[in-house]
Amino acid sequence: MFDVKNLHVTAGGAESSRGLSLGVPAGETHALMGPKGSGKSTLAYALSGRDGYDVTKGSAALNGEDLLALAPEERAAKGLFLSFQHPVEIPGLSVIGFLKAALNAQRKARGLEPMPAPELLKLMRAKADALKIDADMLKRPINVGFSGGEKKRFEALQMAVLEPRFAILDETDSGLDIDALRIVAENVNALRTPERGMLVITHYQRLLDYIKPDKVHVLAKGRIAASGGPELALELEREGYDKYLRAA
Amino acid sequence: MNAAELPNRRVEAWRYSDLRAAVAETPFALGKGRDVIERLAQGLDRVELAAGEHRTVVEQLVQSSPLHAQAVEYVAAERSDLTRVVIQSGEGVALSRARVRVDAGARFRQFVLAEGGKLARIETDVSVEGEGASVELNGVYMSGPGCHADLTSVVEHKVGGGVTRQLIKGVAAKRGRGVFQGKIVVAPQAQKTDARQYHHGILLEDGAEIFAKPELMIHADDVQCAHGNTAGGLDERALFYMRSRGVPEAEARALLIEAFLLEAIPAGLDPAVHDELTGRIGAWLRERHA
Repeated sequence: MFDVKNLHVTAGGAESSRGLSLGVPAGETHALMGPKGSGKSTLAYALSGRDGYDVTKGSAALNGEDLLALAPEERAAKGLFLSFQHPVEIPGLSVIGFLKAALNAQRKARGLEPMPAPELLKLMRAKADALKIDADMLKRPINVGFSGGEKKRFEALQMAVLEPRFAILDETDSGLDIDALRIVAENVNALRTPERGMLVITHYQRLLDYIKPDKVHVLAKGRIAASGGPELALELEREGYDKYLRAA
Repeated sequence: MNAAELPNRRVEAWRYSDLRAAVAETPFALGKGRDVIERLAQGLDRVELAAGEHRTVVEQLVQSSPLHAQAVEYVAAERSDLTRVVIQSGEGVALSRARVRVDAGARFRQFVLAEGGKLARIETDVSVEGEGASVELNGVYMSGPGCHADLTSVVEHKVGGGVTRQLIKGVAAKRGRGVFQGKIVVAPQAQKTDARQYHHGILLEDGAEIFAKPELMIHADDVQCAHGNTAGGLDERALFYMRSRGVPEAEARALLIEAFLLEAIPAGLDPAVHDELTGRIGAWLRERHA
């Protein structure tokens, strides 16, 4: 269970979340929808512990464990994963090198031995294969020269290898054409398990045609303005966010 | 000895590396030579490659004494292929100078790894004297606390059709100083020259210093030349990206710095030399984060 209560977030001198509460049970996928500037990405960064995104009030916990007092790497080791809206390019560092460092750091934090290199490589190949990702990607420098679709598929591959308990997907659809969107969504769906929760952040309903959420939440002015089933996303698509912005 | 004979910061070519101050209390003797490093080195070694010959030369520049200077003259005859690797480490003052002549169709490839010291300066002076020659002049400096590393080079294209590629990367820690001075001169008759020069430095902490003086002096009109120069902090977005995947901050920093520096190592070096270079970069980073 991922549980956020009365969260207040300040970033760049402005308060973007103002008492946001949200719960995602294990095994469920929820969508968080909101207009541009409603603080969706800010919330994602604050929950994963990025510098400059300060939680001034409230709590966030994963399976009962408080996250907010932890460094970003400690949150990751507890099982939190953020799929970036704009994944960062790191020239000179290969996908293999990066995943090896990440997986073994998480294992160390959990008191496990590092995974031997051959086993690790086998695991990465198997995960790439399961997501229909070309194994050549493993040798490339991180996100350098990747298309928009490849970047998001690499995020999915990282999730597959690191096996988080809870994943926040920040605007996974941004910058993707319809074909890439479908493929990335298939990757994400393949990673849904009865234990893993997901929060899919998006501006458009379109993504939710492919990643079907159990629940939809509307973010307006820093709070959840409404929650409902998948039909809520369709309503937003028809009527826009105005109603919630006026009411909030 | 007379310290006043050594250049201080008022001499343009030494404005970021005050040699006079660095050797103030060290005895030295000046011999004959074209410049101060050659005079301190008491002469010039000579390495000459015959036409078509391939050779890799590794120069270890270790200042076990408070002041160490070495100077070498290289000649890369037509169609020869010369790779020169300079590995500098130690604590005192280390000075190295190479004069390199590159003839038609020859390739001169250089990589310098400098860890600095009280003052370390590796100077390379390349003269492209034959058509269609190629020059690759890469380097990495890693200036730890209190260390000073200076990579200075001049490439002069005297004839046309030559190619120069230069990529220098460096990091400086608190109270560390990195210097890059790179001049590329294209003579009026050196048409169709293709020269690119890049220097990128990362200031690892407050109190680190990086000085860069890139210069392109182009006197021909039908050439392709480009240069780029940056100095700044470590990419905070990349750092957060790695941390969000579980990599602790210190390890993420070390990995990012390593990835940044390794890009300057040329492909196709002798594997043993390549391993020594990557090993030294890795060891330097581990020592910092130990």
